Amino acid sequence: MSAPPLDDHPVPHRGGVGRYLAVWAALIAFTAVTVAAARLQLPGGWALAVALAIAAVKSALVALFFMHLWDHGGANRLVLATSLFFVALLMGLVLADNATRFPLANPPTEATLRFMPPGPDPVAPAPPARR
Amino acid sequence: MSTSSEHVAHHFPDLETQAHAARLGMWLFLATEILLFAGLFTAYALYRMLFPSAFAGASGLIDTRMGALNTVVLITSSLTVALAYHFSRQGRGRAAAALLLATIALAGVFLVVKYVEYAHHIGAGHLPGRYYRYPALDVPGAAMFFTLYFLMTGLHGIHVVAGMGVLAWLAAGAWRGSYGGEYSTPLELGGMYWHLVDLVWIFLFPLLYLI
Repeated sequence: MSAPPLDDHPVPHRGGVGRYLAVWAALIAFTAVTVAAARLQLPGGWALAVALAIAAVKSALVALFFMHLWDHGGANRLVLATSLFFVALLMGLVLADNATRFPLANPPTEATLRFMPPGPDPVAPAPPARR
Repeated sequence: MSTSSEHVAHHFPDLETQAHAARLGMWLFLATEILLFAGLFTAYALYRMLFPSAFAGASGLIDTRMGALNTVVLITSSLTVALAYHFSRQGRGRAAAALLLATIALAGVFLVVKYVEYAHHIGAGHLPGRYYRYPALDVPGAAMFFTLYFLMTGLHGIHVVAGMGVLAWLAAGAWRGSYGGEYSTPLELGGMYWHLVDLVWIFLFPLLYLI
């Protein structure tokens, strides 16, 4: 039987301590970068895009080197990729649904509250009196 | 030092196949964890889309320095877990145990910082849902931000506490010399769990504290 060799045959000490320390330093540096980028108050959606891009790079470093996906590929990577695909599906479809609804079919928001009748909310229960 | 045969369950031909299966099983568990948190991240994305300015204002009420400190603490704790696995593979169980204890200490620091933050928010009335009492930011959506803040950091904090228990168990095993060059699978899997806790925080920090 000519089974293919296991894709994650351990190569545990490639780089060793130095590689872990380098990844740690990069993660700390990216944390400083993301804090500095948030201080810049980038316009529009750019602040969110930059923060998420940096978080994606940081998480890729953790998954590849701390969680050893760099050395152990194959099915492990497939499991992670599948879960990320379903995360994208969940988030994408929920956001697409609510973004394309008739506005008043969403929970009352800043954009639609001005269309609400005055007085207490007829649907949601009134908040309790302040104690 | 233990021999390889005593660690191999009878339904596995050898240690390497067993480690491969264990690792894949751990990734499957981590996938369910990712999807668990994804539900909360989706709720965050939805309400952020509906209440952009309320979320920006409420996010400003959270102390960025605390979040940055905890980010550094968790990243460093990931390093110590990774090094513990590395030293365990070299048969240095005592060093691995010491690094695991350092990880637990860092997790304790994380929880103390979290406690200080929670105490501040509870005192200031930054509370979830209908318990929200903060006249300076009395806009629709601000209460939802803090609902999500407490849910996301709370679920993450529960994972930190669970991880501390796992790490303590691993540290005891490493100290006794249960793991070594050929068999460190429990340490590897426990480490992966801890790295996932770090991964979740890497996304929580910018979304809740920064933007």
